[in-house]
Amino acid sequence: MADLSFPLITAAIGIPAVAAVAAFTNNARARMAGVAGAVGASLCSLEILREVSAAGNAKLAEPWSLGLFTADNLNATFLVLYSLLTLGILILAPRRDTSAKITGTTLLVLAATLSAYGADNLIVLAAAWILSALPFIAGPFTGSWRPRAGLAASCIALVGAISIIVSAAQAGGDTQPFSIASLAGHNYGGQAAFALLIVAIVCRKGIFPAHAWIEDAAEAGPVLPVCLFINGHFGAFLLARVVIPDFPLSAQGTFPILSDLALFTAVYAAIRAVAETRARRILALLVLSQSACILAGLESATQEGVTGALVHCVVVAVATTGLFGVLRLMEVRFNRSFTTEHYLGFSEYTPRLAVFFVVCGLALVGLPGTLGFCSEDLLIHGTLISHPQVGLLLPMATAMNAVSLFRLFSRMFTGTQRTGIQGIADAVPRERWVLAAIVFFIVAAGMMPNVAVALRANAAHEISQALGHPVAFLTGH
Amino acid sequence: MTQLQLILLGVVLTPGVVFALFSILWLLGWDAPERSLTRITAVVYSAATAAVAWMAWSMHMAGVESVAVPLGDWFTVHDYHFPLVLLGDRLALPFLALTVILVGLIGQFSATYLHRDPGFARFYILLHLFAFGALLIFSAGSFDLIIGGWEMVGITSVLLISFFHYRLGPVDGAMRVFTVYRACDIGLITAAFAMHHYAHTSSFADGMPHLSNSDATVIGLLLLLSAAGKSAQVPFSGWLPRAMEGPTPSSAIFYGAISVHAGAYLLLRAQPILIESPIASGAVVLIGLMTAVHGTIVGRTCADAKTSLAYAALAQVGVVFMEIGFGWTWVPIMHILGHAMVRTLQFLRAPSMLHDYHQVHAAAGGHLEKTGKHLESMFPQSMQLWIYRLAMDRGHLDTILERGFVEPLLALSRLLAKLDRMGLGTAEPAEKQAVLLRGVKEEGAIDG
Repeated sequence: MADLSFPLITAAIGIPAVAAVAAFTNNARARMAGVAGAVGASLCSLEILREVSAAGNAKLAEPWSLGLFTADNLNATFLVLYSLLTLGILILAPRRDTSAKITGTTLLVLAATLSAYGADNLIVLAAAWILSALPFIAGPFTGSWRPRAGLAASCIALVGAISIIVSAAQAGGDTQPFSIASLAGHNYGGQAAFALLIVAIVCRKGIFPAHAWIEDAAEAGPVLPVCLFINGHFGAFLLARVVIPDFPLSAQGTFPILSDLALFTAVYAAIRAVAETRARRILALLVLSQSACILAGLESATQEGVTGALVHCVVVAVATTGLFGVLRLMEVRFNRSFTTEHYLGFSEYTPRLAVFFVVCGLALVGLPGTLGFCSEDLLIHGTLISHPQVGLLLPMATAMNAVSLFRLFSRMFTGTQRTGIQGIADAVPRERWVLAAIVFFIVAAGMMPNVAVALRANAAHEISQALGHPVAFLTGH
Repeated sequence: MTQLQLILLGVVLTPGVVFALFSILWLLGWDAPERSLTRITAVVYSAATAAVAWMAWSMHMAGVESVAVPLGDWFTVHDYHFPLVLLGDRLALPFLALTVILVGLIGQFSATYLHRDPGFARFYILLHLFAFGALLIFSAGSFDLIIGGWEMVGITSVLLISFFHYRLGPVDGAMRVFTVYRACDIGLITAAFAMHHYAHTSSFADGMPHLSNSDATVIGLLLLLSAAGKSAQVPFSGWLPRAMEGPTPSSAIFYGAISVHAGAYLLLRAQPILIESPIASGAVVLIGLMTAVHGTIVGRTCADAKTSLAYAALAQVGVVFMEIGFGWTWVPIMHILGHAMVRTLQFLRAPSMLHDYHQVHAAAGGHLEKTGKHLESMFPQSMQLWIYRLAMDRGHLDTILERGFVEPLLALSRLLAKLDRMGLGTAEPAEKQAVLLRGVKEEGAIDG
């Protein structure tokens, strides 16, 4: 295996970790430290992506890192995406959301998330998984008990699964029992480990019946860190990184059920959103529904579905960052949380925020000309091929999500002529540039979707091969 | 690329480029002068009209039946391709011409109609997006590409209905239209998938792929669902009168001319598939017949000009659907072109209807015969009352859809919300905590 030119993954993790310390110690400069940390992580991640692409999407090990981290086509994109999203959120966040505590913890979550993406070691993966969830379990980002319970359950299930896998690997005489790559196809731990991994995914991803914590987290927690956390898509990543390569036979047998469950979750969340009145919950339900579509696509075992899922991860992450960002900016401007019980007509004061909101929202539900159109198209084709009957639920869920989103937009921004509000600014330059970058990315990538598809093609091919032809995958033919 | 291919590409892409340019400039803070917007619009659509005319003339003289512009695949995954191919043939060209002519005319009409309206620039930006979407539908060489244009026309339609966004009526109407569009679009999306599945391509640039009877029935019915939604056919007709809340120029071009006929165009394009399936063809005729009757009856009880015109348009599009179902091609095309022109004129003159009426009244020497009594006289008194009640409630279509689909869905949603809250006790603790954490002062009920 070739090496990266420099310990870039360690650098991408280390820089935000150092910046977090700086943010914690200097409340006045917390945002600046956060931005610096995220810029450093983004630059390292971009270089990793460049080197992986230059190496023909081969897996690259990190020099001097004891085999803890590797970079490949699957995680390089996630590293870039997450670093840039964090950067965007740190710039976009209103001042009251950039205290030392919030910024420092956000940077720690970034470091932990990048560690999980880059991990080629089960212990590192488990540690990063737990560390990234810790602020939402123990504070300072805690909300009601359900997010704490859901995330704790996912951590416990993952630790349990990894313990079983490592024990079985050691018992089987494997010389590298902690290496994710070397475990591929061995089925260490059997059904017990597989089942626990699935529990970890279901809990972390918010698949029915473990879905409600995401709504609660969005409603009761600080919305921007929660948005960032949800958009890590750790559940889908664990599925693609560990479950499918290590348990291809079990996965192939179990995935039709899981896929149906994911589709059910997509429809369930979409139906829930139809009559929901609280803006944060509506957005959380839309994220939940669209994230479940990602899982359904991954589990479709078709190359269209898997590619669609991997591209849709990007769309959901970017678009929901825009949506939650605009919502938070509106909450701060008007000093209230929003519901859809009344028409508020705020577009008169914030026309550009309204446009950003509607574009991000429509991209999330597959507006043509945005990357969402391409990913939805692939997802729908993939799931309809693998599940012709229940696959029809996916376009239905997407249609309902679109209606819920448009309802939220209508209620927040239109419907009445408001008077007597003064001193409300539309998007200020700092916010405008971040939101414009989000919209530009969504539209530009939508115009040239082949670039995004090509970035995910190799990973999608490996996943669909492992699921579609597990025996050939195991024997390497 | 040949000259004809370049012309077709230019005609379709130019409105999209203008839309993108205007949008970016607006986002950057440009306060567009009205004159610049209208002049650019006039130049673009005059040039486009000339280009389409030139293209049609060149094709006629050279005896060319169609011009295909293959632009490769938009994206490719494994053996799935999203073909980017434009097609200018005898079906597409009249619709392309209709679109560029009417958008140009509406652009000029709106310069006066919307003068000094705060949403002037927004209207023109959306008009260009609409033109791009419509031209994409009419020139698409594959069902996948039609979806792209279809969705653009849909979203533009919705945003223009809620043009006067500070009033409740337009916003509610837009919500209704958006819901119907999204529900019916499932038909087109699934039909495109079915085309890939059955024929291994969704492209028809080289002729419509041959399908078996059963496959043709499935695809035909799915396309009919989508076409019925877009063309406001029964049972989805209820959204059309609500769409009249938008500015009159957009009502004219959307619901008198282009958008309302997009469904008919889709069926015309898919006519080789419909011919393969008597069931699908029969369904098209039936839906068209029901809509024609529905539009005629309901239109007679409408109290305002635009709604009356909307139902009149509905009835005519119903007849067009029937013609398509019978397997005719040129009759529905001519019907659409004539109807679109006349209806656009009527819509544009609707705000001046009383003025026009007085002019006609005076020209006729003050003696205008009352018309329209013959239809009622064909039925017995009791049935007349029953039909009147039916027509007043617009065929109960909205009531049926609301009671049959919307209310059960909302009830299910609320039930699921209750289930989700189980185990939480009350939601207050979480919300109180939220207030503390997010630093937002809770204000209780939000004033409307």
